Amino acid sequence: MKKQVLIAFLVMMMAALGSVAIHAQSNVTLTYIASQGWIFQSEQDLGQKFEQQTGIHIDYQIIPSDQYFNVLQTKLNSGEGPDIFGGQSGVSDLAVTYNVEKNAVDLSDQPWAKQEDPLVLGQSTVNGKVYGLTLWDIYGTTWVVNYNKTIFAKYGLSEPKTYADFKALCQKLLDNGIQPLYEPISDGWHHVLWFPENGPRYEQANPGLADALNANKAMFAGNQTMLTDLQQLKEMYDSGFMGQNALSDAYADRTKTLASGNVAMILANLTFPQQVEADYPDVKADTFGEFVIPLADNQLLNINPAGPTKFIYSGSPNIDAAKQYLGFLTQPENMQYLLDNTPEFSSLPFPGLKSKLLPSEQAFLDAHTAADRGIVYQTAVTYVNPQWIDIGKDLTAMFTGAMQPADVLANIDKRRAQLATAAKDPAWTGEAAATPSS
Amino acid sequence: MKLRKQYPFYFVLFALVLYVVFLVLPNLSGLAYAFTDWSSYSTDVNFIGLANFQTIFTPGEQYLSFITNTLIFTVWTTLLKLILGLALALLLNEGVKRFAAHVYRTLIYLPAVLPTLVVALIFKSILNPATGLLNTSLRSLGAGALAKPWLVDPRIALSSVIGVDTWKGVGYIMVILLAGLQTIPRDYYEAAEVDGANTWSRFRHITLPMIMPAVMIVTVLNILYGLRVFDIVYALTNGGPGYATDVLMTGIFRAFSQGQYGLGTAITSILFVFLIVVGYFVIRLLQPRPIQE
Repeated sequence: MKKQVLIAFLVMMMAALGSVAIHAQSNVTLTYIASQGWIFQSEQDLGQKFEQQTGIHIDYQIIPSDQYFNVLQTKLNSGEGPDIFGGQSGVSDLAVTYNVEKNAVDLSDQPWAKQEDPLVLGQSTVNGKVYGLTLWDIYGTTWVVNYNKTIFAKYGLSEPKTYADFKALCQKLLDNGIQPLYEPISDGWHHVLWFPENGPRYEQANPGLADALNANKAMFAGNQTMLTDLQQLKEMYDSGFMGQNALSDAYADRTKTLASGNVAMILANLTFPQQVEADYPDVKADTFGEFVIPLADNQLLNINPAGPTKFIYSGSPNIDAAKQYLGFLTQPENMQYLLDNTPEFSSLPFPGLKSKLLPSEQAFLDAHTAADRGIVYQTAVTYVNPQWIDIGKDLTAMFTGAMQPADVLANIDKRRAQLATAAKDPAWTGEAAATPSS
Repeated sequence: MKLRKQYPFYFVLFALVLYVVFLVLPNLSGLAYAFTDWSSYSTDVNFIGLANFQTIFTPGEQYLSFITNTLIFTVWTTLLKLILGLALALLLNEGVKRFAAHVYRTLIYLPAVLPTLVVALIFKSILNPATGLLNTSLRSLGAGALAKPWLVDPRIALSSVIGVDTWKGVGYIMVILLAGLQTIPRDYYEAAEVDGANTWSRFRHITLPMIMPAVMIVTVLNILYGLRVFDIVYALTNGGPGYATDVLMTGIFRAFSQGQYGLGTAITSILFVFLIVVGYFVIRLLQPRPIQE
C-alpha cells in the first residue's frame, strides 16, 4: 500500500514537473518588430502554427514605415531591443545602420544559412558572419520596364537595345496619342529608381567604382555615366514621355493606369503583370513584356539581393526560441506555404521551391546570365539608401528646372559625407578627401 | 500681509515644477545637443561647436530655402487671415441681420474645427491638376486657361498651400476680431456720426484703435503658428515639388527621420530664436497706445 502511494506520488510529481516545463515554455513570447509591409498574413499564419507546435507565442509589432527606423534605432541604442527585429539587408548598411556586430546574433551555424542563395546571404553577412535571414522575393521584385506588348505590336515597336532606341519608341508612342511611360513622381520615391537601379551600368563603365565610393576614393559628382543617366531621365520628363501629370501621378494607380491601355510602359517589379491581372482579370499577365532600364545604353539586369531581413537581437533573453522560429520558417513546407499564400512573392531565395514566376519571366531572368547581371547601387554603395527621399526631392527639383543633374550628384556626395561622418566611418574621418571619379 | 502675497505662489508651485522639469529643462538640453554630432548611427555624442549651424547657413544648402519659405508663409498667412478675418468680422458685426450673422459665423468658423489632415487630403484631391474638382470645373466653364498644377508647379505650390491654410484659419481669426468689435461702445460711433465722420474715419479713428488688443493677439498667434507650421505642408505637398514648399518644421522632421538628431535640434534652435525675437518685436509694435480723449 505504502509502495503504491509512493509510486502514485512520484508519477504525480513527474506529471507536475512536466506540466511546469510545458507551461514555462508556453510562457515564452517573442517580440518581433518590423516595418509596415514586411510581415504578411501568411507569416502570421505560420506564427500561429509555430505556437501550436512549440507553445512559443510571436508578438508581431508592425511600425509605420516612416517611423520604423527611428523606433528601431531608439530601441537598439537604449539596449531594449525586441527579440527579433526586421531590417533591410545590404552589406553597406548592415554595420552602419544596424550595427549588427553588436546588436545581432551570429547565425552562421544555422542549417538554413547553408541553403540560402549565396548572393542573398552575402548581403546579411559581415566579416564572414551571417546575421540575418532574408525570406523575401529578390528576383520577382527586380525593377524592370514592363511594356504593353499589344501596343508595341500595333506600332511596330520592339524592345530597345540603346537609349536612342528607347527615346525613338517613346516619341512614336507620343506622336500616336499614347503616353509612353507612367512615372508616379508624387510618391517621392519611385522616380529615384531610374538612378541607383542602373548601378550595374555604372560598374560596367567604371569597374570597381562601388568599392571606390565606399572607400571614399571616388565621388558621384563628375561621373559621366551617372550624369548621362540623369540627363536622359530629365530629357524623358521634358519630352513629355512621362505624361502631363507625372508630378501628381501616384504609385497606387499603377495597375489601373496600365490596364487602361492609355499608357504603354512602367518601371515596376518583374511580377507586375500578375498584379495587373489580379486587379483586372480581363487584362492577362501575358499582355506585358519586360526589358531592362535602357538609360546610358544599359543592357545589364539590375539585381537587388538585399531585402527585408530578420535579425535576432543580441540582448534577447530568448535567443534559442528565436532561432527555433527562424528554423521553423525555413522548413521547406513552410517556405512553400509562404510563397503560395503571399501574392507579393513569386519566388524565395531557397532551392527546391515551386516559384510563381511566369515562364516568360523566368526566361527573362535566365537570359541574363551572371555575366549580364549586377548589383544595384543602393545596396552596393554605402549611404545611398538612407537618402532615398532626399534624392527624390532633388530629382523633382531637376525635373522642374530648379536643379541641374550635376547638382543632384553633388548633393548625393554631400549627404553621403554627412551620414558617413555621423557614423564615424573611418573612410571619411581618417582618409584624405576623394577625387572625382572619371 | 506677507502670507497673502505668498499664498498664490504655493498654488502654482507644483505646476511650475512640472513646467520646468518637463518643458524648460528638455528645451535647454535640446539647445545643448544642437552643438553636438548626436545621431542614431553612433552611441557617442561629441561637441562639434557651430558645425551644425554652419551646415544650415551654408549658401547652396536647402536649409536657407526652408527659412525663406517659412517666413513667406508666415507673412502671407498672417496678412491674409488678418485682412479677410477683419473684413468678415466687420460684415458680421454691422452688415448682416442677427440670425443670418449666427449662421454665417458658424459656417465660416467650421473649417477651423476640421482636423488639418482631413482638410489637406480633401484639398489635395480638389487641387489635383488632372482630375481635381477645381480644374475640371474651370474647364467645364470654359476657363481652362485658369486650370493650373496648383500643388505641383514649384512657382505656385507655396501660394496654394498658403491659400488652403488661409481658408482653414480665417474663421478662427474672424471670431476673435468679432469679439473685439463687440466690446466697442456704440456711443463712440454715434458721437462720431454727429461730428460728421464718414465710414472710413470711424473705422480708422475708432474701430482700429479699439480692437488693437485683439489684432495684436491674432497677429502674434498667426506668426507663431506660421513659424511652426508643419501638418498642412506635410500633408499637402511633403515640402515638394522638390523643395518648393519645405519649411523649417519639415526640415526638422526630415533631419530626425534620418537619425541626424544634432542637426535637427540645431534647426529647432533657430526656430526657437525666431519665435522669441519675432514674437517680442510684434508685441512691442502692436502694444496698444492710450486713446487720446
